[in-house]
Amino acid sequence: MKRERPQSFNTVPIKERLTIPRQDMPEQDALQRSTNFLEVNLGLNPEQAVIEAQRCIECKNPTCMDGCPVNIKIPDFIQLICNEDFLGAADKIKEDNSLPAVCGRVCPQETQCEEVCVVGKRFEAVAIGRLERFVADYAMIHGNGSTKVFDKPEPSGQKVAIVGSGPAGLAVASDLIKEGHEITVFEALHEFGGVLVYGIPEFRLPKAILREEVANLEAMGVKFVKNFIVGRTMTIQELMADEGFDAVFLGLGAGLPRFMNIPGENLNGVYSANEFLTRSNLMRGYEFPEWDTPLYRAKHAIIVGGGNTAMDAVRTAKRLGADEASIVYRRSEEEMPARNEEIHHAKEEGVAFLNLVNPIKFIGDEQGNVIAAECLRMELGEPDGSGRRRPIPMKGSEFTMKVDMVVIAVGNGSNPLIAQTTPEIETNKWGNIVADEDGKTSMEGVYAGGDIVSGGATVILAMGAGRKSAAAISEYLKSKVGSVV
Amino acid sequence: MSFKEQVSSMNMEAIVEMCIDQEQQAIDLYTMARDQAKDKSARQKFQELIDMETEHKVALKDFELERYLELPPADLKVTDYLMAPNTRENMTTQQILILAAKREGKTARMYQELADLFVQDKKLNTFFQMMADEELRHKHDLETEYENEFLQEG
Ligand SMILES: Cc1cc2nc3c(=O)[nH]c(=O)nc-3n(C[C@H](O)[C@H](O)[C@H](O)COP(=O)(O)OP(=O)(O)OC[C@H]3O[C@@H](n4cnc5c(N)ncnc54)[C@H](O)[C@@H]3O)c2cc1C
Ligand code: SF4
Repeated sequence: MKRERPQSFNTVPIKERLTIPRQDMPEQDALQRSTNFLEVNLGLNPEQAVIEAQRCIECKNPTCMDGCPVNIKIPDFIQLICNEDFLGAADKIKEDNSLPAVCGRVCPQETQCEEVCVVGKRFEAVAIGRLERFVADYAMIHGNGSTKVFDKPEPSGQKVAIVGSGPAGLAVASDLIKEGHEITVFEALHEFGGVLVYGIPEFRLPKAILREEVANLEAMGVKFVKNFIVGRTMTIQELMADEGFDAVFLGLGAGLPRFMNIPGENLNGVYSANEFLTRSNLMRGYEFPEWDTPLYRAKHAIIVGGGNTAMDAVRTAKRLGADEASIVYRRSEEEMPARNEEIHHAKEEGVAFLNLVNPIKFIGDEQGNVIAAECLRMELGEPDGSGRRRPIPMKGSEFTMKVDMVVIAVGNGSNPLIAQTTPEIETNKWGNIVADEDGKTSMEGVYAGGDIVSGGATVILAMGAGRKSAAAISEYLKSKVGSVV
Repeated sequence: MSFKEQVSSMNMEAIVEMCIDQEQQAIDLYTMARDQAKDKSARQKFQELIDMETEHKVALKDFELERYLELPPADLKVTDYLMAPNTRENMTTQQILILAAKREGKTARMYQELADLFVQDKKLNTFFQMMADEELRHKHDLETEYENEFLQEG
């Protein structure tokens, strides 16, 4: 993407920039942190942030922006950091991304903006994610809420219901409230933030950040309703016909845990990652006994899977006191979908990795508690269409390992509740809602985005989809006014 | 009469008929399951399977030789160790895929046994080998779909 270069505030001569080392982010000591739930990464300090920003060579063709799913104006905010205008930098990011403190922490920058950063071709890429996190945190402490004072727009008289308070729903709320619409977010759980609060643990994303974001939106006028399950408490039709909502956005996520369908999955001590993480995060199982959520403290925990969910679960199990917490993964480490940083941190914290291993059966005692896992070793076969070598079971490689807790983290599907209660909304064979580029579904006035449409993806993609839907809903509402007049 | 003698006594046409009958049984099973299914996505998945088996049945009738010449892909064995679900009205798409992949695997084994039984009879051996390969190909496709959707491990 060729574009006008932003005003430069970088005082380091261009030739010297490549000699500046990438700034390490301070983090909690591995041994210490593996027994607490405090955040692992501690963030850059202002001096480090400026030095890191000075590593940017201000490319004519800033490929970093192409690598970002919502095209944050990366070179622009980096220059503002060079000028020590941290609040300005935060505002710049907020033009495209309403949750920078979240994205700065959980986005897979190494496969997005940083992967294609020009400096990264020869040296280590500019630490864009760390810079994003730094300015977002700075703005939270020193700024005024969302940093810019919000000018309340004229009320439009139109009402929008947002179902689900994950990143997709929050992005829609943030965009549409600025246009004067009356916005209500309905959430099934008792906290707002979707996976960001019930899935991703405190040590990676402190809940206080989400509470602050929700408080900002509330201050802007967004209404939040918890413990409200659309499809059960009230249907979409009722929301529109009886409650007078002009449009509805569905940001339901992919919260239905998937199991492996092997014998023994219903034994005590076998959890879905979803249940395990929710118990720990949302019901504060990690603060037991102060919070009364019983969570079994395992001695030998295995977590089946290789994604971010598996890493979050295994690191949680370790922190809850497991002597041994291991990842059991069918493929090799190279294929793990989890972020490199999570794998690296898990290893530092003493997590064991059993790669090319697949459980085929869980064995229980007389009381129905899991006591062992029977596994098979896998070998890599021929590459498939995507070039990845497929794991194939090795004949006669069965072995049994002692376990007293198993967490299944092989993926999530979509909850069928809305499809069942709203047949007008088209779904595909996986149960995902079918929506066009702008999030428009087959039901008039109903839009959808995030994991419920794409299947399990990322925070930034869910947010990007939310913003596209917000723009489309805005147009739809305008056309509705037009047709009434 | 043993099964081998029974098959040996059949002409090629009758053998193809027997195989077509096998496909029809699968179509009937999936049709019944589709009509029972409550979930829209499950109905969609069963319809896809019906279409796949119907296509296979037509191919058998027309005896499309070139279709059978390609070597089968590796058996991924993704569903081999999973529990076989029963057909019932609230099946999930995941269970349907397991059911179908296991069925293809079982049929492939049956044809492979027939091919092995008739090693001496070149014509029958080739025919059954081709049938076994085709079923393995279906199993591979279904297991790839299963892997992509249900073992994302994200
Ligand atoms: C453990 C874990 C770790 C992850 N780590 C990362 C990471 O590091 N980086 C990254 O980019 N992505 C990560 N992801 C993926 C990311 O969190 C999701 O892609 C993203 O949250 C999807 O956002 P969403 O708004 O579509 O849905 P969600 O965040 O799932 O939110 C949906 C919300 O809708 C609510 N809801 C559902 N149905 C109803 C209903 N009928 N009525 C009312 N409310 C309803 C749910 O309770 C939920 O709060 C992770 C996912 C998990 C599970
Ligand atoms: S690609 Fe890297 S060096 Fe170039 S503008 Fe973007 S962050 Fe700076």
